[in-house]
Amino acid sequence: MSTVWNDSTPIYRQLRDRVVAMILDGVIKQGDPLPSVRQVAGDFQINPITVSKAYQELVDENLVEKRRGLGMYVSDGARDALLKSERERFLLEEWPALHARLGRLGLSLEQLIEAAKRGEKQ
Amino acid sequence: MSTNAMNPIVRARNLSKQFGATKALDAVNFQIEAGRIVGLIGPNGAGKTTALKAILGLTDFEGELSVLGFDPRSQRTQLMEQVCFIADVAVLPRWIRVSEAIEFVAGVHPRFSREKCNAFLAHTKLTSSMRVRELSKGMIVQLHLALVMAIDAKLLVLDEPTLGLDILYRKSFYESLLSDYFDENKTIIVTTHQVEEVEHILTDLMFIRDGKIVLDATMDQVGERYAEVMVNPDKADAARALKPLNERQIFGKSIFLFDGADRAQLAQLGELHKPSIADLFVATMKGTYA
Repeated sequence: MSTVWNDSTPIYRQLRDRVVAMILDGVIKQGDPLPSVRQVAGDFQINPITVSKAYQELVDENLVEKRRGLGMYVSDGARDALLKSERERFLLEEWPALHARLGRLGLSLEQLIEAAKRGEKQ
Repeated sequence: MSTNAMNPIVRARNLSKQFGATKALDAVNFQIEAGRIVGLIGPNGAGKTTALKAILGLTDFEGELSVLGFDPRSQRTQLMEQVCFIADVAVLPRWIRVSEAIEFVAGVHPRFSREKCNAFLAHTKLTSSMRVRELSKGMIVQLHLALVMAIDAKLLVLDEPTLGLDILYRKSFYESLLSDYFDENKTIIVTTHQVEEVEHILTDLMFIRDGKIVLDATMDQVGERYAEVMVNPDKADAARALKPLNERQIFGKSIFLFDGADRAQLAQLGELHKPSIADLFVATMKGTYA
């Protein structure tokens, strides 16, 4: 697997974000096991400490739990918790800037919904 | 685990080696802890192979050197039970069959596991009746790696292990090493000129130049210490005033490499990036052959 990491964020952080995206998209569901640290290190050709660090972040966020002797599993309610925090983050960080831009462009709610529907049809 | 932190795998104090008038190693000090993957990177003739040979007890030296608590000069036999090595000139006799090579290592090495070796070889196209002379360069390295990974050693030394291999073999080499071999009780020292392929695998980085260690840091420290900034021409002089380590031009912009500069200050000049090992290497080794 060839992976391009960006060089402005630490890799463990990017790996954590990948797992989060996979949980949000439902690619890995609650109760599913995460691949072992060795497996991920081998697949991505990154050192195992980086992988452990990413997994530890997920554990600290209660998205993943460590089952002794078995490995890492996606926690119950991980997706709901993520959806909640992602919604909050969007409303807090992204929406104000987006709202201001929509105002500057003078786009109405009807126009936006219309454009979104056209987009969905395509 | 706590004992590992107390007893480094390798400890060198004033390690020196002289060939005639040339100092291959010039009073070098370093320490390698357990569970690390250390990249020893340097230009040709910098002293990499001499350092590895000293660690393996293959050359005489001055100064102090302790490997797994042993003196490589006087306790080489005990040391060799815990150490594995793949050289850039990995030589296996051309007439030997795969099965005979396995028999041989099983006979000489008490910590070798025939089962493990066969399991590794099962993932390759090698069969036990093949002779080394029938194998491609990549297959020979696969055989070598299988023999070495089947030894339960604490320290693995790799000297240019992927030299001359194609991309497929190179990738699978590091993939096996990470998924089938390495764990927190093992330590790997690797020298290579292919720095891009070990970039994210290493936990520690050592640059060696003219027999001296010029950089010795964990990869985390490297990320904190060094920063690259892409600067527009109007701010280039301001960047130069901050004494960059290196400057190069791309698409009309200048890329400056800084060591230990204030990040907030740098961010005002342009976009910040983490430098690649290759960029860091070029900047550090500037003027080596001049």
